[in-house]
Amino acid sequence: MSYMDILKTAPQVLTPGTSACQGCGGELILRRVMQIAGANSVFAVPPGCMAGAGAVGWSDTNGCTAPMHIPLLDNTASFMSGVSEMYQRRGRGDVNIVAIAGDGASADCGFQSLSGAAERGARMLYVCYDNEGYMNTGFQRSSTTSRGSSTSTTPSGAAINGKEQGAKYVPLILAMHNIEYCATASPSHMPDFVAKVKHGLEASKRGFAYIHVFSPCPTGWGFKPSESIAVARRAVASNMFPLWECERGRWYMSENRSPITMAQFVEGIGKFSRLDAAALEELQEAASARYELIRRLCAK
Amino acid sequence: MGHVTPMGGPGMYVLDTASWRVVRPVMDKNRCVNCGQCLAYCPVGSIYAEGRQILISYDYCKGCGICAAECPKRAITMVPEVE
Amino acid sequence: MGERMALTGNKCASYGAALCRPDLIAAYPITPQSSVVEELAGLVYSGALDARMVQVESEHSAMSVVQGAAAAGGRVFTATSAQGLALMFEPYFRMSTLRLPMVMAIATREMTSPETIWSGQQDAMSVREAGWIQCFCETNQEILDMILQGYMLAEDPRVLIPVNICYDGFYSSHLMEGVDVPSQAEADAFLPPYGLPAKLDPREPRSLDPMTPGELLTKYRRSHLEAMQAALEVVEEVDIKFAKAFGRSYGGAIEAYRMDGADYALVTVGGMTGAAREVVDALRGEGLNFGLVKLRFTRPFPAARVREALAGVKGFAVVDRSVSFGWDAGPMYVEACAALGGLLAGKAHFSAIGGLGGADLSVAQLAAAARRLAGAEGAGRMDTLWLSEEVRQ
Repeated sequence: MSYMDILKTAPQVLTPGTSACQGCGGELILRRVMQIAGANSVFAVPPGCMAGAGAVGWSDTNGCTAPMHIPLLDNTASFMSGVSEMYQRRGRGDVNIVAIAGDGASADCGFQSLSGAAERGARMLYVCYDNEGYMNTGFQRSSTTSRGSSTSTTPSGAAINGKEQGAKYVPLILAMHNIEYCATASPSHMPDFVAKVKHGLEASKRGFAYIHVFSPCPTGWGFKPSESIAVARRAVASNMFPLWECERGRWYMSENRSPITMAQFVEGIGKFSRLDAAALEELQEAASARYELIRRLCAK
Repeated sequence: MGHVTPMGGPGMYVLDTASWRVVRPVMDKNRCVNCGQCLAYCPVGSIYAEGRQILISYDYCKGCGICAAECPKRAITMVPEVE
Repeated sequence: MGERMALTGNKCASYGAALCRPDLIAAYPITPQSSVVEELAGLVYSGALDARMVQVESEHSAMSVVQGAAAAGGRVFTATSAQGLALMFEPYFRMSTLRLPMVMAIATREMTSPETIWSGQQDAMSVREAGWIQCFCETNQEILDMILQGYMLAEDPRVLIPVNICYDGFYSSHLMEGVDVPSQAEADAFLPPYGLPAKLDPREPRSLDPMTPGELLTKYRRSHLEAMQAALEVVEEVDIKFAKAFGRSYGGAIEAYRMDGADYALVTVGGMTGAAREVVDALRGEGLNFGLVKLRFTRPFPAARVREALAGVKGFAVVDRSVSFGWDAGPMYVEACAALGGLLAGKAHFSAIGGLGGADLSVAQLAAAARRLAGAEGAGRMDTLWLSEEVRQ
């Protein structure tokens, strides 16, 4: 079945009316992951934009047609380890165990739990939608926020101009846990995205599968909602967010030998509007170095 | 397509997100080649297929304009909502 | 048939848990609890126990993993102490408010700072408003027995609240006593298999914990509190059932020892009770009418039974192995006074605090506390007595 056939025919699992912002990359990622995994799944969406948008429901209503829990911000992977163990014990390994969490719940507060579950090879698919900050609480910085980003806790000031540190590159750290499957994906590259989610679900029957997804945020980053996919596409095109996968130590990447510049990537994105030349240079160096590192890992 | 009207019936959390919309996507079927790119990128799941035909539902469309921006044939135009 | 063995308290906790046929165990080592996890790992790895064992990277994850497994319909077990309990507080509170039944052993330990690894009850006492049922044990036999009883209590449909089985770190966890270990068949005859449905199951899809407005949340809290009170009755029922099955009864939520016609009472929690019994016996021998009230359950607080037991005494002292920072007293003293209410008038009473950070809580110290009580001039609260090395008769 082609990716398009899946998207056309697989039933939706998430409610159609969520309160996610217009043009939200996170909603697109959540909706597609849940659709591909299907209703024979147990989902967890910790506190963050997607839980706030109604994925878990409100009061006495459900946010989807599958079992769903909002775990703690910092225990998604360990909570789902327990769920997964019980489904295996009951001989129901066909049930997909799927976590969909933001960068705060994955890279920061929940990092220990994520690392622990990855190291143990807990059988689940863990999808991180990385919108580079704590968007649900008002666009504060996270460890995956790009250098120079203006956020509500790293504003562009006269003394300090935006975030001073570069982004922590979480997917590579997860790959170093020697997990069953690790990949990066972007909603702008839908055939690749669908294939990786399917691959991740298969791998989750054998061990820990992790997909780190670039999640453009029009409201927090300051660009037009209609441009979400274009921004994500530029992130890949600039090599800021290279697309790769690693399965049990075998590395593959989508090569991009003629990238656009980071200056082209940041254009029209509000959080970079006061970026100075030095910070832009550092962003460019970081993107080039990241791509080169991945390229070497993937070299045959 | 079950999902574009309330799914799950009673007990489903569904916001009337159509009321947010200030512009609506209008598809020019003379230009549309039914490639499905708009469907693939719609964050709300408001675009669906009926046979080969790609159609837009306005039940929950928030009017973000991604479908219009991503359409390779420029077959979708964002048109202001009028009372 | 069961077997008579010499066991440490930690072994009793492990054997008790194993006899309950848990689906999943997740725990993280911490002194003085570590040998509970080690023993259970040994049983699972040898094939003697058919359970999933998840070796987590922290207590926060230990409680999270068992939470996930319980939400997926499993009987689960973990154990911890002090800093581990503090680290797991976030999912710990959530376990009880999700109303997921389980048993967790706490080998109680003093809280840091200053740095310490030794005994005390400050850890368990500090989380007494987290919605769990808390039971304190005096003997190793009681530890094993209460783990079995704990599951029956937690899983009772009138209760559905997780249970802590607490016992003194080192004093109970590491010292051996003769213990009757039931056979698996005897344990199975007492405790039925886990029968509660999974909360997360695609066959019956549900949201677990959607965003909940205050009106509804208040109903949940009220129902939790009502179940806590209902648990007081279930505690007594389970004690009777256990006595029928094994011939051992502990008296339910409290044990009243030589309280008939007692003029004075010592109120104790956990392992110190053994020493207090000796004091009571000795003073009775001298003609001083002492009795003892052992608080077996502190959550829910058995207020009616405490009130009834202490109604007739002239004075009482509550011995705490922890402090209440707000009261210049130990926490169980404060709660015993609250339980007595109007009956407090006319009685002499005080809080005694000792045994912190592994310090000995000796017969001599408890005797000194008792003599102070017997010598009280008139009624009312007396100063808090710190049971240190200087306090001797």
